[in-house]
Amino acid sequence: MAHAVTSKDIPVKGEHLPKSKVNGLMMVCGGIAAIGTIASFIYLAFAQGEVKGTYAFSWLFATFYFFTIAMGGCFWTLLHNVSNSGWGTSVRRLMENVGFVFPFLFVFAIPLLFPSVQTFLYEWMTEHRTALQEAPDKGAGIEAALDARGGQHDGLLIAKLWYLNLGFWHLRFVLFALGLGFVIWKLRKLSVDQDTCGAPGTERLFKARAMSSWGIAVFAVTLTFLAVDWVMGLDYTWFSTMWGVYVFAGSALNSMAIIIITSILLRKAGFLKKVVTPEHDHLMGKLTFAFTVFWAYISFSQFFLYWYANVTEETRYFILRNTENWNLLSYILVFGHFGAPFLLLIRQDLKKNANYMLFMAGYLLVMHFLDVYHMIIPERGPSVGNVVDHDPKLWIDYGPALDILAFIIVGCGFVFFYLRNLTSVALYPHRDPRILESANVNN
Amino acid sequence: MSTTVKRVYGYLAEFESASKLYKAAEKVRDAGFEKWDCYSPYPIHGLDNAMGIKRSILPYMVFFGGLTGFFTALALAYITQVSIYPTVVQGKPANIFTVPAFFPIMFELTVLFSGFTTLFGLLGLMQLPRYNHPLFASKQFARVTDDGFFIAIEARDPKFSAESTKQLLADIGGANIELVEDEN
Repeated sequence: MAHAVTSKDIPVKGEHLPKSKVNGLMMVCGGIAAIGTIASFIYLAFAQGEVKGTYAFSWLFATFYFFTIAMGGCFWTLLHNVSNSGWGTSVRRLMENVGFVFPFLFVFAIPLLFPSVQTFLYEWMTEHRTALQEAPDKGAGIEAALDARGGQHDGLLIAKLWYLNLGFWHLRFVLFALGLGFVIWKLRKLSVDQDTCGAPGTERLFKARAMSSWGIAVFAVTLTFLAVDWVMGLDYTWFSTMWGVYVFAGSALNSMAIIIITSILLRKAGFLKKVVTPEHDHLMGKLTFAFTVFWAYISFSQFFLYWYANVTEETRYFILRNTENWNLLSYILVFGHFGAPFLLLIRQDLKKNANYMLFMAGYLLVMHFLDVYHMIIPERGPSVGNVVDHDPKLWIDYGPALDILAFIIVGCGFVFFYLRNLTSVALYPHRDPRILESANVNN
Repeated sequence: MSTTVKRVYGYLAEFESASKLYKAAEKVRDAGFEKWDCYSPYPIHGLDNAMGIKRSILPYMVFFGGLTGFFTALALAYITQVSIYPTVVQGKPANIFTVPAFFPIMFELTVLFSGFTTLFGLLGLMQLPRYNHPLFASKQFARVTDDGFFIAIEARDPKFSAESTKQLLADIGGANIELVEDEN
């Protein structure tokens, strides 16, 4: 019932998820992630050949999938602060906890720094390195080396040199981690410090809002260029100005799905019951619905311009994905990632139904799996085949098995760090001035 | 002085604040009235629950309005661009696989028809526009656009009675209770 929650209902020390409750799960996930990650690192660092190249793509796919979710968590935290929202204070800690997985995830991104992995993933890096090796004048630098070689795409590589060069790429890798990592760490710290503050006021809220106003720009730049560097860079000849927004749409949508799943499971286990209500399910369901539409709008806009303009140099991405069997996956995304959830999330009463939303959030995460698969994996056959024996293929048969293996390993890592974040602090900001407003929200 | 019998519209009662109005609305709802309404200068969150109003059928109208727009656009684009006068642009086929080219039109007409259905459906359900409303006969009711919170229970409600309804409004905290009569 509305108007039921008062400050008497909020525990003075807040609600905590005891470590003992999730210890087993954390041990299993942590164990799988640790063993799998170490084994994968050793394999990716020292192995050679087609299987290694295939696994490099699997690893990028799995890592990038969970990066999108963690970055989405940063986005919701920043948006909640910067828009001065009151409705979501009781789920804000979940947003912060999803977002704070981001800095930890860079552990899994380390293989992207191995030159022997980069060989398979990023053709432009290989071109740069070979051009430098073959250069007649060793000290003259990359531009002179590419110019001297004068190969088919070397003009393109020179034109893009200001952005696509080895030094800047690695510098950006570090800046992504430090920039957004600092923002989400600091925001979560501001929020967590409030929990134990003897005289909690609005000071931290204002601080968090001021910080988020520039933090959200850090987020936008990080997400956009991380997606450009790691995934769009798989084919250096192709470019899309919609790419960052496209990745962002799926990212915000699916981290909201994770937040919905967590809040429902926690309530089923007896936590959060005082402050999170079906009204929150409805609000979060509306955001999910909105981002389902946004994803469709953006991904179609990206496709539409290339499809209509039909300029040879620009269509490679979609020719690869809209022919042969990859076209089937494109169709699945149209109806499965947009059509079905659009119709299934329209109704208000269903969005207030916890079990239904649990199912829908899980379904959307599966669709996001296919969406990220559609971004990354079609590049694998051509790229790996080309590197191994100059014979580009469309498909590598054992690929999906490795994809699922990498997905499980990185996924277990994500769950481990997420549970670590959840258990280390209170489940909701119980001393936030707006916790009662949020608990009694009505929409 | 007119000798015609005036039609009684119902009782109007004023309440001090939004929260008093909210609590009073819950009691009127529990008393089982159907033809009554709350009036306030601004929207009050959760008041529709307190009044026990059922969900509007407007969303269903909008859904089917949007669906009509969707199919209108598909038919419009397909018939003109494929059936009657096949237009070849950028080497695109003139058949159903050109459907991505129609998406912007399908999107726009879905939005347009949904918007129109929302606006006109809403006006229809609210029976607007209208020339006058019986409550405008009450002088104090003018304050509803400023700082007045009112509940009006209509005489056509089956539970309405001249005595007990007035008593009910007084019991739940209503002030300045007034029997509003239709002006004509």
